Amino acid sequence: MADAFDSPIDIDVETPAKALSGLAQMAAAVGVATLLLLLFNAHALAAWADGLAPGTRTEAINRAAQALLARTQARGLDAPRAVLNGKWEEAKALKWTGRWPGQPQDQRKKS
Amino acid sequence: MLFPTLDFAIFFLPVLVLVWTVGQASNEWRKIILLLASWIFYGAWDWRFVLLLIASAAINWSVAQRVHARVEAGERAQPWLALGVIANLAILGFFKYFGFFLEELAPILTRAGFGRDLPLIEVILPVGISFFTFQGMSYLIDIARGHTKPASFLDITLLMSFFPHLVAGPIVRASHLVPQFARVPTLTRGMVAASLLLIVWGLFKKTVIASELATGLVDTAFFDPAAQTGPDLLAGAYGYAVQIYCDFSAYSDTAVGLAGLLGYRFPRNFDQPYRAASLQDFWRRWHISLSSWLRDYLYISLGGNRGGVWFVCRNLLITMLLGGFWHGAKWTFLIWGGLHGGVLAIERLWREWRGADARPIIPRPLAILIIFHIVVAGWIFFRADTLDGALAYFAELAAWRAGVALTTPLLAGLILFGLAIHFTPPTLMPGMARRVAAWPAPLLGLAVAIAILLVDAMRFEGVAAFIYYQF
Repeated sequence: MADAFDSPIDIDVETPAKALSGLAQMAAAVGVATLLLLLFNAHALAAWADGLAPGTRTEAINRAAQALLARTQARGLDAPRAVLNGKWEEAKALKWTGRWPGQPQDQRKKS
Repeated sequence: MLFPTLDFAIFFLPVLVLVWTVGQASNEWRKIILLLASWIFYGAWDWRFVLLLIASAAINWSVAQRVHARVEAGERAQPWLALGVIANLAILGFFKYFGFFLEELAPILTRAGFGRDLPLIEVILPVGISFFTFQGMSYLIDIARGHTKPASFLDITLLMSFFPHLVAGPIVRASHLVPQFARVPTLTRGMVAASLLLIVWGLFKKTVIASELATGLVDTAFFDPAAQTGPDLLAGAYGYAVQIYCDFSAYSDTAVGLAGLLGYRFPRNFDQPYRAASLQDFWRRWHISLSSWLRDYLYISLGGNRGGVWFVCRNLLITMLLGGFWHGAKWTFLIWGGLHGGVLAIERLWREWRGADARPIIPRPLAILIIFHIVVAGWIFFRADTLDGALAYFAELAAWRAGVALTTPLLAGLILFGLAIHFTPPTLMPGMARRVAAWPAPLLGLAVAIAILLVDAMRFEGVAAFIYYQF
């Protein structure tokens, strides 16, 4: 016998007659996302391949990943991630300015 | 193999394809594929523990058959049930608590002249052991109580090994999942939309908020509290509250989402816990699968609400102390459990004295603030490596040195964001999923890719293990 329980994926949606089924929707969406990430985030695949234990098979994977990275970089596809990463690093580097109440003068430089 | 890594994505995508192609034709093959995938996933840590997982499933399957046969025959099932529970506790006890008890007993045994006979065993803790042993026990108790029917060996092994929940929950009960194993599941557009949203949201919470707070603030604050200023220590405590929520709820969200893409429903494990106005309310929102497990299998077994108020308070305290001990063999976890049990008992006494229907005497926002700070105080014990470390944290916080050195504007912003998400409307995520479900597949794929790209641009180099892996 099954317990009735609440799951976060219980979403009632009316599916139009011509719409893809759930399975087709998932297959297409995951496929598109994977393809786009291979193109725009080849850096992640290259870093992963670089970390594989050395071996003839991993060597071939590594070469393919590096070739994909080189091609996508040549077309500037890595730029969006690089720009976003740069903005994020800038945000991380931000510091408070001014002196906090009760803070000694010499501590200000640290903060 | 951690969820938010490319290793896991490369493992999961072929599993997804196999399950919805080969597994579409035969439900038995579908389950075998999932079982083998789960063993590969678990074996990535240590292959030896796959055998432990199989042995544990075999014990629970075998005992469940006997318990059920006794129940059906109208005979006493208690001896078999006790044997099964003891077997699960023995597995958990050996791997998780052996070192603790040996360490605590060592001075006594040494004084008694047995010091040199103490075994020198370094016991490695198998990941997820607390989760799958609790799952096994609840299965046996449910069979004895007649709440569920015995499952086939394949089903019970898959239930205990199923990789989305295997290492850090939610604690999915047999009555939740085994009936879903009976047939090939159907995937709806709503399930797909909600699952993808949960996975991306989990990825963001873990790799951006939790990782950034851990490495930028919390780890340093707890490593050497004496070197930190008061505001940094306060931010460190708040930061840990946000970190542990974002870390653990991210695991649960990802687990629910991954299971959803495979066609299975997992129960909700978190429900905006920091908006709780009482500790009882907090435990209805935090790690719901553990708190409901403790309620159903421990608190009720101890007598629950049957009896006088002091009896109920005793049960609350014992339940929470054992809940603390479940997290690990450390005094800090016991104190954390004791603090929660104590406050739950006080709340119970207060309700008894005031009457259950009495109007609250403090406004709800103030109650939320008070409960949040009690929870944060508990987290300091939970996070500190030792009891002395926790006490030092409180002492340095009380000493309050002015200035801010660790907490950057970004970290402060992440803490505020992590708290603010507790006060969004509970219908926000389902509403978004409903809207996303209507999108065409390429648009959904594009949105997922952009979200992952954003997260990847912000994520800290590498990903630390989830906090709950150690439990």
